[in-house]
Amino acid sequence: MRRSRALWAGITAVVFAVIPLLTRDTFALRVVTEAMMWIGLAVAWDVLGGYTGYLNFGHGAFFGLGAYTTAVLMMRGHWPFALALAAGGVLAGAAAVVAGLPTLRLKGAYFAIATWALARAVQQLALVLEFTGGPDGMRLPPFLNPQFFYYLMWALVSVIFVVLWILLEHSAFGLKLQAIREDEEGAMALGLKPTTIKIQAFVLSTVPAGILGGVYAYWITFIDPASVLGDLVTDQSVVMAVFGGLGTLVGPAVGAVLIYAFKTFFWAYLSEYQVLYLIILGTVIALSVVFLPDGLIGLLTGRGRAEAPRSPEPADENPPELREAAP
Amino acid sequence: MRRVVAFTLCAVLGTSPAWAQADRNYFKVGVITSLSGDLATGGNVTKRGYDLWAKAVNEAGGIEVNGKRYPVKLYYADAQSEPSQGASGAERLATQQEVDFVLGPYSSGVTLAVAPVLEKYKIPMITGSAESPLIWRQKFAYTFGTIPPVNYTGSQPVGALAGLAPKPRTAIVLGSNDAFSKATAEAFKTAAEAHGIKVLKFNIVPSGQDLIPLLSAAKVLRPDVIAFGGHDEELINLVKALRQINYTPKALLMHYGVTEPAFVEALGKDAEEVFGASVWTPTLPTRGDLLWADARAYAEAAQKEYGVPADYTQAGCSAAGIAFQAAAARAGVTPPLDEGEKRALRDALEALDIETFYGRIDFADRGEFYHANTGLEALTVQIQGRRPVITAPAEFAEAPARYPTTPWNDRR
Amino acid sequence: MLWQLLPQAVLDGLLIGGVYITVALGFSLAFGVKHIIDFAVGEWIMLGAFLGYYLQGWTGLDPLLLLPVVFAVFTAVGYAIQPVIHRAVSGRRGNPVLMGLVFTFGLMLAIRGAGLTVFGFFSHSIPSVMSARSWFLEAGGLFVTVPAIRLVGFVYAIGITAVLHWVLRHTDFGLAVRALAQNRDAAGLMGINARRISSWVYGIHVGVSAMTGVVIGSIFSISAQMGGDYTILAFFVVVLAGMGYLAGVPWAAFLLGLVQSLFLVYGNPSYTLLAVFAILYLILLVSPRGLFAKGV
Repeated sequence: MRRSRALWAGITAVVFAVIPLLTRDTFALRVVTEAMMWIGLAVAWDVLGGYTGYLNFGHGAFFGLGAYTTAVLMMRGHWPFALALAAGGVLAGAAAVVAGLPTLRLKGAYFAIATWALARAVQQLALVLEFTGGPDGMRLPPFLNPQFFYYLMWALVSVIFVVLWILLEHSAFGLKLQAIREDEEGAMALGLKPTTIKIQAFVLSTVPAGILGGVYAYWITFIDPASVLGDLVTDQSVVMAVFGGLGTLVGPAVGAVLIYAFKTFFWAYLSEYQVLYLIILGTVIALSVVFLPDGLIGLLTGRGRAEAPRSPEPADENPPELREAAP
Repeated sequence: MRRVVAFTLCAVLGTSPAWAQADRNYFKVGVITSLSGDLATGGNVTKRGYDLWAKAVNEAGGIEVNGKRYPVKLYYADAQSEPSQGASGAERLATQQEVDFVLGPYSSGVTLAVAPVLEKYKIPMITGSAESPLIWRQKFAYTFGTIPPVNYTGSQPVGALAGLAPKPRTAIVLGSNDAFSKATAEAFKTAAEAHGIKVLKFNIVPSGQDLIPLLSAAKVLRPDVIAFGGHDEELINLVKALRQINYTPKALLMHYGVTEPAFVEALGKDAEEVFGASVWTPTLPTRGDLLWADARAYAEAAQKEYGVPADYTQAGCSAAGIAFQAAAARAGVTPPLDEGEKRALRDALEALDIETFYGRIDFADRGEFYHANTGLEALTVQIQGRRPVITAPAEFAEAPARYPTTPWNDRR
Repeated sequence: MLWQLLPQAVLDGLLIGGVYITVALGFSLAFGVKHIIDFAVGEWIMLGAFLGYYLQGWTGLDPLLLLPVVFAVFTAVGYAIQPVIHRAVSGRRGNPVLMGLVFTFGLMLAIRGAGLTVFGFFSHSIPSVMSARSWFLEAGGLFVTVPAIRLVGFVYAIGITAVLHWVLRHTDFGLAVRALAQNRDAAGLMGINARRISSWVYGIHVGVSAMTGVVIGSIFSISAQMGGDYTILAFFVVVLAGMGYLAGVPWAAFLLGLVQSLFLVYGNPSYTLLAVFAILYLILLVSPRGLFAKGV
């Protein structure tokens, strides 16, 4: 089973790797590049949201932090892109440690809204600071090579996916996270250090977001507080992860691809109905929560997920029910 | 699940059509603007302007080049108020639809992300709306704009106010913290200081902020002028707030926004006597050779089509179409445009100097306003009798400015 | 000079806060009982505002007289929608908070899309006779201007809060709601029809929010895109108050109003929102369950 999963993952990676060789269509490349970015963002969000049960509604702030770090270092510090990108990832991780220490003490909805408030504060900060360009945003030198960004995104997202896969699915770390999700105090009684583990998960979730933000900045060539520090990144990552299936790696990836493909298809080929797409997307999201209890992944595997995530809060009204044993 | 990925992939790639390009007898025109998202209000106004132009051109048989007429077909890309989606849209229009030229975004941010992509494909773009001075400083070779930047237009009304009697001595200048509004507020402030009006307070405030505490505090200073840079609903909120605290400055100045029909519709008599800046009103004396003979003819066509009066954005967008029309005729290029013809079209745009229903279109070819339209006269307008009336400069003035402004409670 | 502005700044802060109370009240109630973070709260406000706008246009009545109609219509809407939300957050799902949130997020997108389609993109205003009035009070060198429509909004907010408080404390329905909020299973054992009560609670939430939309339309402007701003305010106030802790809502709303007002007058106005969010964040860190540590 595991071997075949690895095989499939490898095949998927190879398929993505050869796409640019098959098509000269730069728009298709751009679409797939962005789809991969969303895979990375949704999967990264799921590390904290799905595996650990802490709903980070400030995911976009770390994406924006990476974007702004890269932009500021390149434009004001004249750093090369690769270094600036790495710095963006490091800074996003460092910010997660600083913000995580106090914030991760909060539970449930309070954690969600505290991270959201933090993200809003960061956006306001970017709006009033001088070196971020304020509301005018920042322009980066255009480097419009679709293949470069495609392979960069492909490599980064593959690395993110593989690293998370090893850590979350094939090491004790993943089990620790789930232990915290299921019963934080119990985990502590077993000798785990929840604070340390939660911070590690937070960093693991935000570093990819920061790096992807840096790529985004260089790729799109223009960033401003509305586009990289707005609600879009967070909202979309959460919805993709939930739609696909929380607490898994494949689920959010599938959710990301499908939601992004739906949005893009509607947007590109049925543009006359631009507002309708909001209605349809909204309805699909709402209905998926009602009818797909475990996300798409639950539907595709034909069974409920064995380790469906539990909120840190007691679920108030669900009758206890039989769960399948973990494979 | 892999099957799903593969399927999606095929869907995305498979739908990229190979268009038969050889003998196309119509122009493909890309429209990149924000039809959804935060900027949808303005974006849809631009769409109306572009649509109206396309409709008028096609009713006339198309764009006339060397005695033959070529209709236009619009291809939309909704930028969703996101720069990245604008860039993506540009890529799609350039590579899949293979458009000949592009009518551009509503906002400056999206324009800044779209321009480099079109630059790469050497596709000329005219935005009928984006007016941040930042765009023109980038010196994009293929990007043009029919609306002058705010710092070009913002100083005119301040100068006009300074010339009224009794001369306003003090002002409070506020601006919302977005690119357009901040630039507007800064232009007002600079102009006020240049004209000897003392700026008592200059604040950039977060977008959407309830300003009543700030205005209450300002009221105590009894400023002669309150000048505000902001977007549609912010302007309405500001007037309502001043109304609520019952403070009537001698002049209340805003920018383009007051000429939008929604401003008068929402405020009724409270909109009266508010000053604004504009470059076009339905009553501006203009003459055009293409499509509409003058501003009035355009306004009538717009009223008939959409049931609301046209504002400067919509007019600027229709004028962007006319600029392409004129440039295509001069360059003698016929669809489909190859790279050389697109370059010729771009050169023709740069050399263009025409009179239209919108006024003169003359894109600057150097300097800080590079490729912005500097052929227009900045106008001071005031809402009088529920519509914007030009009060300055003198050669365009339709009526004298009502000044000092009638107190709120005495209006009808 | 500066201290002279203080009474006005405080008054403005309280009046701003007054509007925020009703923006957040229904949301807080719904969270207390159903544990739903309602992303659509701003959209209910938007829909209510537009119903008020059109009704005002058709009838010519003052929007404040139309409040009961708007309340009735949207209470019915909320009542009807609640079973679907219940399905979304219950059953086999692991994380009801997240599920409710994502469900209402979808609802929000759909309502906003529908709003843009039906109402168009432009801003409107709901005219009320009260928006043209104000009182100027002066005593001993101190002075304040009291805008009538804002005072109306304030009184409306206090009134709704008082009525809701009374209903919760002194009626059988209120008892049932409180029982439900405390312990669903026990409430069921006591013979309370949880489903029905939940529907009423969500109905009241939607009804109050929609009604507030009309008041907002009289004070500010309305547009199909307005919802997001008010959802943010509702989040803010409810979390500051302690989620689901109804009695904390007015104080949190006043605090938010006062912070904004004082910052605008005495601080650097550019930093107002930054300060607001930083304060929310810090308060959460110091007192994780809201100002009064009484959140659910």
